[in-house]
Amino acid sequence: MMSRILLVVCLAALAAAPLVLPAYFLTVLIPFFAYSIILLGFNLLFGYGGQLSFGHAMFVAAGAYAAAASYSILGIASFEIMLAVAIVAALCLSIPLALVASRFTGIFFGVLTLSFGMLLHSILFKFYHLTGGESGMRVPRPTLLGMELDMYNKTGFLTGPFYYYCLILLVVLGYIMWRLVRSPYGLHLTASRDNPVKALYLGVRVRWVRTVAFIVSAVYGAIGGVMLGVLTGLADPELSYWTHSGHLVFMTILGGYQQFLGPAVGSLVMILVQDQLMAETQYWRFFVGLALALIVIALPGGILGGLRRLKLKKEGKAHADARQRRPARSTA
Amino acid sequence: MNFLTNVILAGLFQAAVLFLVAAGLQLIFGVQRIINLACGSVYALGAYFGITFTTWAMSQGLPPYLFPLALLAGGLIIGLVGIPMERVLRLIYRRPESFQLVLTFALVLMIQDIIRFFWGADPKQLGSLAMIYGSVKLFGVTMPVYNVMVIVLAIIVAAGMAYFLGRTATGKILRATAENHETSAAMGINVSKVFLLVFTLGTALGTVGGALVIPTGVASLEMGVELIVKAFAVVVIGGLGSMKGAAVGAVIVGLLSTLAVFTYPEVDTLAIYVIVIGMLIWKPSGLYGRIAT
Amino acid sequence: MTTPTSKKRRSLIQAAGLGATLGLMGFPAIAKDKPLRIGILAPRGGVAGTIGETGLRGAQWAAERINANGGIGGRKVELVIEEETSPKETIERFRRLVLREEVDCVQGIVSTGASLALAPAAEDSEVITVFWDGTTQDGVNETMPAPQYVFRSTDNECEAVMASLLAIKHYKGKFVRIAGMNPDYSYGRNVWAAFQALLKKYGIEYEVVTEQWSKIGNLDLTSNVAALRAAKPDLIYSALLFADLPVFMKQAHAAGLAEETRFVLPAAGWQHTSLKKEFMPEGAILGHNTMYFDHPQASPLQKEFVAWYHDKFNDYPSWEADRAYFSMEVYKAGVEKALSAKGGSWPSTKEIAQAMSGIEVESLGGKGSMRPDHIAQQMFHQGLSTNNNDYDFATITDITSIYSDQLQKPKAEDDFWKWLEAKQWEI
Repeated sequence: MMSRILLVVCLAALAAAPLVLPAYFLTVLIPFFAYSIILLGFNLLFGYGGQLSFGHAMFVAAGAYAAAASYSILGIASFEIMLAVAIVAALCLSIPLALVASRFTGIFFGVLTLSFGMLLHSILFKFYHLTGGESGMRVPRPTLLGMELDMYNKTGFLTGPFYYYCLILLVVLGYIMWRLVRSPYGLHLTASRDNPVKALYLGVRVRWVRTVAFIVSAVYGAIGGVMLGVLTGLADPELSYWTHSGHLVFMTILGGYQQFLGPAVGSLVMILVQDQLMAETQYWRFFVGLALALIVIALPGGILGGLRRLKLKKEGKAHADARQRRPARSTA
Repeated sequence: MNFLTNVILAGLFQAAVLFLVAAGLQLIFGVQRIINLACGSVYALGAYFGITFTTWAMSQGLPPYLFPLALLAGGLIIGLVGIPMERVLRLIYRRPESFQLVLTFALVLMIQDIIRFFWGADPKQLGSLAMIYGSVKLFGVTMPVYNVMVIVLAIIVAAGMAYFLGRTATGKILRATAENHETSAAMGINVSKVFLLVFTLGTALGTVGGALVIPTGVASLEMGVELIVKAFAVVVIGGLGSMKGAAVGAVIVGLLSTLAVFTYPEVDTLAIYVIVIGMLIWKPSGLYGRIAT
Repeated sequence: MTTPTSKKRRSLIQAAGLGATLGLMGFPAIAKDKPLRIGILAPRGGVAGTIGETGLRGAQWAAERINANGGIGGRKVELVIEEETSPKETIERFRRLVLREEVDCVQGIVSTGASLALAPAAEDSEVITVFWDGTTQDGVNETMPAPQYVFRSTDNECEAVMASLLAIKHYKGKFVRIAGMNPDYSYGRNVWAAFQALLKKYGIEYEVVTEQWSKIGNLDLTSNVAALRAAKPDLIYSALLFADLPVFMKQAHAAGLAEETRFVLPAAGWQHTSLKKEFMPEGAILGHNTMYFDHPQASPLQKEFVAWYHDKFNDYPSWEADRAYFSMEVYKAGVEKALSAKGGSWPSTKEIAQAMSGIEVESLGGKGSMRPDHIAQQMFHQGLSTNNNDYDFATITDITSIYSDQLQKPKAEDDFWKWLEAKQWEI
């Protein structure tokens, strides 16, 4: 109950933000929306599915390039079309990859996905006639629901209509993911994570379940990629580099991969902290790495995991206190 | 004929570099089952520290033609950074392997900025020291003598590792531990000491590799992150955990990428990834790997 | 290690914040005493780090000089410095400068990739942006023919055209087999194509024996050098211009290429102090773009700058310092022109941009101007490399200086290849 109220409060705060916060901070919040969507998908694969992908950023890149391509090939700059093209691209990319990758787990899965991600990076770089090479491709400002919204300049557009659109997308996609992980499919997925052999015996189609997780996470990643592409106006190959995938992993673990909202929390914290940190010091990577190391060692549940433990501890203590005050019943 | 000689010699040089890094990766994985994403980072550390140490040594009177010794010494010294790294990794040995991967990624980030802090963000070079031995004409191809030395050294290291692992008592202990941690411990092997030794040795292979290669190139902040992908390619092709695989994989990747540079420069990195993916699909344990999926 | 400027930046935020609020409240007189904040986007590390550093120093010298002479229109110049890295991150830093730091003008950018990506965002933001060394051409095709707020540097092909002409002049008849060793991005590809187009135009017979490409940031060129050696070219055309250039020349020398082959290095001046005499060949065509630090006919302004630079940093500046100075001068001249046209009250951004269009200035390396289509015109200097000097790096003799109106197409939307065909030069 508490957490539901908290969630509503947060959403309300996010909805009210454009009226209160200066433009710069709003442009920082949009990556938060995008990464929350991407990580919701990623965590399906990692938190619920137990598969650590070090190449997930390739779908983010696919989404951004799909957005750029929908303009350069189709000549239309519509956000809905961009999303549709991105989803198609994600499906085309992820279905064959998923069929291959679902055979593996653990390190092999990690190395395989890392290779896939770097392969895409290489392709985006080398085939410059198609992809613009290292300068990438331009993502123009799209129409939203068909509306031109000419009265806004780029910043006004980003901090106004686009902001709300992304927020709504986040809520909708979050809800869909919530239903998915609570469905029988979600149970099958976590079963195949916890004990694949036993799950097989129980009739869970482990490989199929993993394939679906891979594909769904790819689609979420691509949607986030479109948002990022519109924000910067650019789709560039570095989106697919393996360290970008590493950052996705980091944000997920930071927030808490065992909680549904953990990754979203992680992305918010990471984005805010990184923005501040980058302004303060050149050595922000060190602190990011240090934070990641400390969390992995000491607080594997991440921020939300740590909060949960605190809460349970408090509850446990309350129980123990209550017990002490009541005199023990004699067993005789 | 000339073309082929050029490709082979250039490819062997690439392979030598890759082998040194991959050997460290293989050793650590073989015994400890840890994939060390930071293997490229320690390579970079070796390069930077190698420059600093050699420059210092020469300012203290070391004659220029002895510079490889300074590089070797510098590489070994900074290789000791493996000890604190192992201590940190030790804390999560029992965790799922994904976490080990993540922790080594954290190390990658930290080491990159540590390098930036001590050496700055500009690429660093060791001047023209590599040319001190001049060039030699091998099979009709001119090559700097130093490059040949690097190839020879990699071969010596490979042979040394083979001997160490195959013939010495310590080597046997390492192989036993690699087979089965619990049984080895039950037989009285101090597994944590073994882990410390292996990790430090693996790190030192990387740092020495970085140090020895630096005279022919430039040290930059991205070198660690860039090298990982090629190192992984070597390890996947050769087979995870196999030292022989490291050597064979290094030769394959080295020759292939050089061949690509000579013929279709556009596709050199692409070709490597395609081979990696192909290998993972066809034979995930690689050519000599012993790990089942 | 925080540099002094970054500490300064934080206190500047507070001062500017107050000034901005007052300005918004409609106090134009007070706004005039508020400093003029100029954002600078330059690489601070990596393969273009030294270049960014040089440009930054040029900008700082320009700003100090301006402030010593009363500022621009009575307002002191303040530099707010951000790092240029990948195209995407550079856009974010630009946004930060404009939205958070609220700068009046942004100058900088050294890489074409970043300038191509940044230009639409800059134009959208309606803040005057002057690229030091960036264009908005995707290859040779203009992506932004008539910008209002974005000002670009000379076309990337200028130095390539000039170097090609000089190569034809000096080496005609002495080469047939040519090889390319160029950076693997749009700049590298275009200048290599331009060289071949010019050879064709002058009827020079040539054969491309190999084309080598180096990924930006890649400093491992052993395979490329081996490939070049195997191909046995008479001439190597290399537009490498980042930290990979000295590495390449070093390895080329070690591989014996320096003796047998002629080199054409259109943009080598960016790395000139790293091109040590030990491995540089004699007589290579070497380009210094808009400023050669040791030009015998250097202006007193340039001499003063070079002396200051050497005094302070014990180094000699590459042309990037001139690009930075030029950008500052063009902005200053534009503001002053708009100011006097408005009779004293501060001009709007649009008015300043319009005033900058067509303006003429005196830069470090010679005269310069800004075309109406917002592309710069500057003096270009190239010569033959020589090791016969008092420095430890190669310098140039036999210097040719050509104004860019001879080296770039006259209008942004013109077709480069058609212009190249039709243009007449006297070699």
